[in-house]
Amino acid sequence: MIKINNLSVRYGDFYALNHITLEIPRGTWTCLVGPNGAGKTTFLKTLLGNKAYDGSITIDGHEVYKNLRNVAFVPQRPEIPAGMDVAEYVMLGRARLDGWGRESKKSRTFVHTVLHETQLLGLQHQLLTQLSGGEMQRVLIARALVQEPEIMILDEPTSALDLHHQISTLNQIDRLKDLGTTVISTMHDITLGAMYAERIIVMHKGQVLLDGASNVVIHSPELKKAFDNGISIFTLDSGRPVIVASREFPAR
Amino acid sequence: MQTQEMGRIWHWRTTVFVGILLAFILLLGVSFGPISLDFTKIIRTLFGVSGGLKDEERTLLLELRLPRVLLAGLVGAALATSGAVYQTVFRNPLADPYLLGAAAGAGLGATLAFTGGSKTFSAALPLFAFLGGVLAVAATFMISGKAFSDPATLLLSGIAIGSFATAVQTYLQQRNSQVLRPVYSWILGQLTVADWNVVKWASFYILIALFILIRMSRLLDGLLLSDEEAFSLGISPNKIRIIAIGAATLATATAVSASGLIGFVGIVVPHLVRGLTKRATNRALFTVALTGAGFLVLADLGARTLLSPAELPIGVITAFVGAPFLLFVLRAKRVMK
Repeated sequence: MIKINNLSVRYGDFYALNHITLEIPRGTWTCLVGPNGAGKTTFLKTLLGNKAYDGSITIDGHEVYKNLRNVAFVPQRPEIPAGMDVAEYVMLGRARLDGWGRESKKSRTFVHTVLHETQLLGLQHQLLTQLSGGEMQRVLIARALVQEPEIMILDEPTSALDLHHQISTLNQIDRLKDLGTTVISTMHDITLGAMYAERIIVMHKGQVLLDGASNVVIHSPELKKAFDNGISIFTLDSGRPVIVASREFPAR
Repeated sequence: MQTQEMGRIWHWRTTVFVGILLAFILLLGVSFGPISLDFTKIIRTLFGVSGGLKDEERTLLLELRLPRVLLAGLVGAALATSGAVYQTVFRNPLADPYLLGAAAGAGLGATLAFTGGSKTFSAALPLFAFLGGVLAVAATFMISGKAFSDPATLLLSGIAIGSFATAVQTYLQQRNSQVLRPVYSWILGQLTVADWNVVKWASFYILIALFILIRMSRLLDGLLLSDEEAFSLGISPNKIRIIAIGAATLATATAVSASGLIGFVGIVVPHLVRGLTKRATNRALFTVALTGAGFLVLADLGARTLLSPAELPIGVITAFVGAPFLLFVLRAKRVMK
């Protein structure tokens, strides 16, 4: 259980996160949506615990700040080291479990399996700097998967992926929930987010505007307001909602 | 498919090959000089088997050549490893171990020791150089304050401290022109003072520092990522930075106080290993250490024999090889972009 109480993050006088209070139960998938600059990425990075904040964030009763826990993170803009290949990079995800400096047989088997599942096996000896954007994103997700994390934090995990890999990647992450992993992600594609996450939190200017079950949130008129009425919501014949940007984006 | 396993990531064959090469270079190092010694006799002497070297030759080997070659190896390993570590910490391929003011601080310390004038002061030169180097790096950390996790800030602080120390050093030299010559010759680097005493204390500090750095090499790989990613993988990036810079500074300051300022080893050797293994990660750190040792033993051999019986400063040799190599690396980088 993650408990967030009165959480604020300030940059000078600017509140990137403004007094947020919420709880996230274990084994659930929560998706954060909202316009650019709403504070989604700041929220994810603060959850990691390497960033100072006011208020409190606890995981199973432990404050997260400077407390190393088994939390995997898939950043939107990773630092890509030169001269490191895919296998070595993914292997870094096992370092905590193996102890730094060693590399167990179990880990090598596990990494092999995950590379197979993420369809990266052919690329294992490629340098990271030679990968396409979509391949790099899958490599990041593979590194997070081999961590066998309690909590998986993903910042726009599908933004660089083609349609086929969007679904296969999200399915893989979804399977983690059965192992009790808590998934927290941001996604610009709200339709896709609602397909996987059971809960959607709409953020706006550092605050929580809407928080509820996915199918409730995406039908809410408040959702449109968060995007300055710049989105249209359609319902397919199957009853599934589809959310797209409006062609005529209103002037601010 | 499920039971398949990944291959090992680092090929230890490379390390073993470099290790054997180093053993051979060490043998060359003790063998050649104004008087050449026989290979088999050297080995026999070292292993205490009968039929080894006698009398003067034995003394030459055990009291002059061997400590000198070992010191060259230690200093080379220290500078190369520290260089590779600095390049990781600063995410900058051209970072070198003297970057945070260690060289300028040591230079100032050495100048102070020479200007002190008395014999005791000169004997304490290694201590002065060591303290100067360590204090300069500590000062760099202090003035960058909380921003030390930002490589650019730390680098700029290092440059500021370095310039300041150099300015003071130049001032002192102008006031005491009689120290110009010894300071200058010290700056170029020299291994002529090597005896077992120096080898003993230098190996103590250098081996401790190298052990720490090689032990934490995978943690160092975590520093190649963003701080958030490193943290999520179970590393506190700031802690690792402090430990890594601390250990690298210990190795560098020891090397500098034992042998003066020997340039370029810290840049050339890591890039040589990276170029040959196509890997820029710290798994190569042990191999970098061995290569650094071999490189400096060879450079010292050149310094002793090229103008024999006169001696070239070793810094001249390393720069003579290092400067063109550095330009080559820069050019290759540009072509890759």
